[in-house]
Amino acid sequence: MITFEHVDKTLGQTRVLHDFSMHAEKNEITCIIGPSGCGKTTILQLLAGLEHVDAGRITGMENMRPSYVFQEPRLLLWKTVGQNISFVLQDAVSPEQQQELVEKYLTMMGLYEYRDSYPKSLSGGMRQRLALCRAFAYPHDLLLMDEPFKSLDTPLRLGLVRQVARMWQEKPSTIIFVTHDIMDALLLGHRVIVLSARPAVVLDDVKIDVPLMQRNVLHEPLPASHDRMLALLEAENKKYFPNL
Amino acid sequence: MKNSSLLTRGLAPLFGLVLFVLLWQAASGFYHPVVLPSPLDVARSAVKLAANGQLWEQGSQSIARGLTGFGLAVIIGLPLGLLIGLSPLISSLLRPLVVGLQVTPLISWLLLAMIWLGFSKVPSFVVFVTTIPLVIINTIQGVKNIDVQLMQMAAVFRINRSRVFREIYLPQVLPYLLAGIITGLGTTWKAVAMAEFLSVSQGIGAKMAVARINLETADLFAWTFVLIVLGLITDRLLTYLVNKKLRHWM
Repeated sequence: MITFEHVDKTLGQTRVLHDFSMHAEKNEITCIIGPSGCGKTTILQLLAGLEHVDAGRITGMENMRPSYVFQEPRLLLWKTVGQNISFVLQDAVSPEQQQELVEKYLTMMGLYEYRDSYPKSLSGGMRQRLALCRAFAYPHDLLLMDEPFKSLDTPLRLGLVRQVARMWQEKPSTIIFVTHDIMDALLLGHRVIVLSARPAVVLDDVKIDVPLMQRNVLHEPLPASHDRMLALLEAENKKYFPNL
Repeated sequence: MKNSSLLTRGLAPLFGLVLFVLLWQAASGFYHPVVLPSPLDVARSAVKLAANGQLWEQGSQSIARGLTGFGLAVIIGLPLGLLIGLSPLISSLLRPLVVGLQVTPLISWLLLAMIWLGFSKVPSFVVFVTTIPLVIINTIQGVKNIDVQLMQMAAVFRINRSRVFREIYLPQVLPYLLAGIITGLGTTWKAVAMAEFLSVSQGIGAKMAVARINLETADLFAWTFVLIVLGLITDRLLTYLVNKKLRHWM
């Protein structure tokens, strides 16, 4: 179990997290939703080791190798589609495995025929899919995803949500999935955590028992959760924008 | 569209050039050839210099001196630029020196080089001191524009430092360095000719000095054209190669 215990974190002048506590189970998908600016990305950056806590502690990260899907694709424009993936694999796996992983994930994401193209020639959605390929292919115990489907259209987004669900089904790992989309969270999360506006506290923590592949947001018990979470998020947003 | 681009890119500049040569030819009729030789005189001079081997003999010396000075500027300037760009301490230490180097009058360098190094090394040295600030400043610019988000990405995926340097730093600095190299080579040919003029007896600049003393103004023009062509060739060739190499991602 990964646990945040009374974590404080200030970035620049902003106190992003104050006395923040939450936990995520191993080999489960934990979704975090919350209003913009509540510290979701900071939570992931702390877990990835890109930032460090000012006070409190994070436990359960010993010997964990994280992989990360950033909000932006963060690709190397001077490397081809294939090379962008092998770039992160080079020091982590054998050359044969490297080849195999590159092929597997590019095929999965429908990018195999573009393996020798450069990112500049891809559409925004394709670049984001390439960033997903890179994160999936990289050997990891913990997958951190920061609004990875933000810029994609709904059918593609739902397709990718299912793809992640299938991947997890095939080989369960710990996934922390940050999103502002309640539907994505309900389709993918074993647990959904709703955070308040800054400084974040856990407003709602829902365990969803429906098997991943049988999820349908229109069926019980998901609509009730959906409506409750929506009401919570709307109330939080009112704190930022009282006139909306 | 096609016609207009042919007109603006091919015919119009050619027409401008022809007009210039015609005006020059007409003007040269009013003056003594020592003051203003005609285009034909200059062409004859150029053919003569090419035929008697002077063009290659003097040209190759100037090119060798220019490339020596500029090569050293790149070899020393690139790592210095990287260090200044990466380390605030080294930056505050060396930046004033780079600025100082840039604003020091060329003639001071030239005279000092004569005292310190002897006449033969003056042209390469002058090229070195005039182009190294360009290389350093362009490299610093490249380092300043390195994408922090890519560094975070590399940190998450545990890419080792030497690969981060080679595969993330250098490719991002490269376009800036190449821009510096193109501008630097443009400056090189001008600087080498000027230094040769004042310091040595061989090379394009030195032969321009001889042409001036002997009142062979047509030769002076011919050597000037050699320098212009040299500048154009290096600029166009490098720009072409850079665009070809970087077109996938720039």
